[in-house]
Amino acid sequence: MEASNSADAAAEALPVAFRRVTKRYPGASRPALLGLDLEVPSGEICVFVGPSGSGKTTAMRMVNRMVEISEGDILVGGRSVRDRTPAQLRREIGYVIQQIGLFPHRTVLDNIATVPRLLGWDRERTRARADELMELVRIDPELRDRYPPQLSGGQQQRVGVARALAANPMVMLMDEPFGAVDPINRERLQNEFLRLQAEVRKTILFVTHDIDEAIKMGDRIAVLREGGRLAQYATPAELLMAPADDFVEDFVGADRALKRLSLMRVADIDLWQAPLAHVGQATSEVRAKLPGAEVPHALVIDAERRPLGWLSDADLLGETVPPRPDTRPDPVLELDDVMRDALSDLLQAETRYAPVVDADGRIAGVLSVEIISEFLTSPEALTEEHDAAGRPLV
Amino acid sequence: MAVLTAKFPELVAAGLPQNFFHNRKNPDCVQSNGAFCVGWAVDNFHTYVGPALKQATMVSVSVAAGFAIAMALALLSHRYGKLVPPLTGFTGILYTVPSLAFFALLIPITGFGTETAVIALSAYTLQIIYRNIVTGLANVPAGAKDAGRGMGMSSRQLLWRVELPLAVPEIIAGLRVATVSTVALATLAFFAGAGGLGEKIYTQLNFKTNIILAGGLAMLMAIVFDGLLVGLGRAVTPWRRHRAPPILEALRRLRRSV
Repeated sequence: MEASNSADAAAEALPVAFRRVTKRYPGASRPALLGLDLEVPSGEICVFVGPSGSGKTTAMRMVNRMVEISEGDILVGGRSVRDRTPAQLRREIGYVIQQIGLFPHRTVLDNIATVPRLLGWDRERTRARADELMELVRIDPELRDRYPPQLSGGQQQRVGVARALAANPMVMLMDEPFGAVDPINRERLQNEFLRLQAEVRKTILFVTHDIDEAIKMGDRIAVLREGGRLAQYATPAELLMAPADDFVEDFVGADRALKRLSLMRVADIDLWQAPLAHVGQATSEVRAKLPGAEVPHALVIDAERRPLGWLSDADLLGETVPPRPDTRPDPVLELDDVMRDALSDLLQAETRYAPVVDADGRIAGVLSVEIISEFLTSPEALTEEHDAAGRPLV
Repeated sequence: MAVLTAKFPELVAAGLPQNFFHNRKNPDCVQSNGAFCVGWAVDNFHTYVGPALKQATMVSVSVAAGFAIAMALALLSHRYGKLVPPLTGFTGILYTVPSLAFFALLIPITGFGTETAVIALSAYTLQIIYRNIVTGLANVPAGAKDAGRGMGMSSRQLLWRVELPLAVPEIIAGLRVATVSTVALATLAFFAGAGGLGEKIYTQLNFKTNIILAGGLAMLMAIVFDGLLVGLGRAVTPWRRHRAPPILEALRRLRRSV
């Protein structure tokens, strides 16, 4: 246990830098990748996304020299990948591929122990590390001695990730790691992986052809186009709100504003405040607050500040605020709701305003369609965002 | 067959057992060449044991030698892919040489005896074993190979830790076919002077009990060898033993996914 902990401490995530990297395959008329120049900060997930033939997999595979660089250089932690033999380099870089590539003739434990054994770790340390990883990726320890064909697709995928993490790599390469999993399990595995990343904070290069996956998984996204040229390298929010050209705009899709909203929670936006009214309060006091308020309707709350409903004009004609206002506060949104879902609720309820409550049900503000559309046209929409591991899991 | 026995008259004469037409218990059966004379078979069984063991040894040695050569060729062509077509062609041509012609060609070089038979028999196994090893290695899932390389295995480590173990089922399948056909072919080794059950068969070709007894022993030998190989295959591929029949496996998967 001690040994594996010291390994944890020793292996920090390292940044990866592409320095004008070009790949030409012999006999091919065009380069597979042309002058790729970008930096992936340590501990971040960088997604390479693009259509087939855009060189995204080639770019990734050059980091562990599964593909040799034709021109330029790749630096991991400031050190050229060509400093070491491919075998040495690869043992320090985690590798997960679409087919998962588990060894069907080896047990789950033996699969996870692959790199530690190549590195010559002793039995006890290897075993302890494997147990630790199975816990980390949530594989039932009972499955330790099973063979991969006896596992479900999701379990196999988790074992693949555990195997890649085994020797505490400084960088992880993932080539469409969820490509072979059905859509429902894929979403679960993506969420699990983001949770895992929040814990391990590796530098990850992730390849996918699916823009939605890229937006969901990436701290940064490199959009590549045919001919292996980089079209844009940006955070998901920048990519969605300010696509560099028609190609990127087309690639991210016409629903990019909605995609932007699915990256944030209601809490991330500045809410409006409605005049608040307590049951039994004189309506004259409430009426006095209405002119100039952000929300032109008064919201009735109970003693615990929970919203009871909106006061209608008829309600305001009475002496005091009634305990049951005419208009029910439907829908009531929560600060933790994904913004995209909140918008959908607003549109469906045929209402302009919806009260937003905190985790205890107390009023926190009011959301309206105008707030959202104002946000999307404001500069904050470009910048204000969470890293991949902190985003709402949709 | 008449032509053959005429070519090797001394063998025919030498191979005749002395008590051929003298049987204590049921001389009638032997005299009338009945379907299977049990008494005769019991009385003379001991004369079959030696040739059978001789043949079993010949088969084992031939298949082992063939396996060693085929493995070497297969590993070479695994490293240098261009070698596959010429080596497949070469072993294929060896396989097409008629066995008796093979013996006749070898006898002037290696002489009359077991060596000649073993050389010819192992040459016949090359084609099947070589092809199965090559196919087995080629069928290793690309993902497993890519992952192995990508985690830092050298070509040699990949071969011994991933590729060969995963090719074992195909290799065993090739060995089974090669072994069974070598048992059958080894009955002809008699014509190369190597003895074996062929000696019994061809010296008393018209006596039904002999044919059934010698032929039956050859078949039994093939079955035993085959069974041994199946057992060996199971022993070295523990990961395949855990597999339930496809239908049960499908049900289990279904239950897991729910």
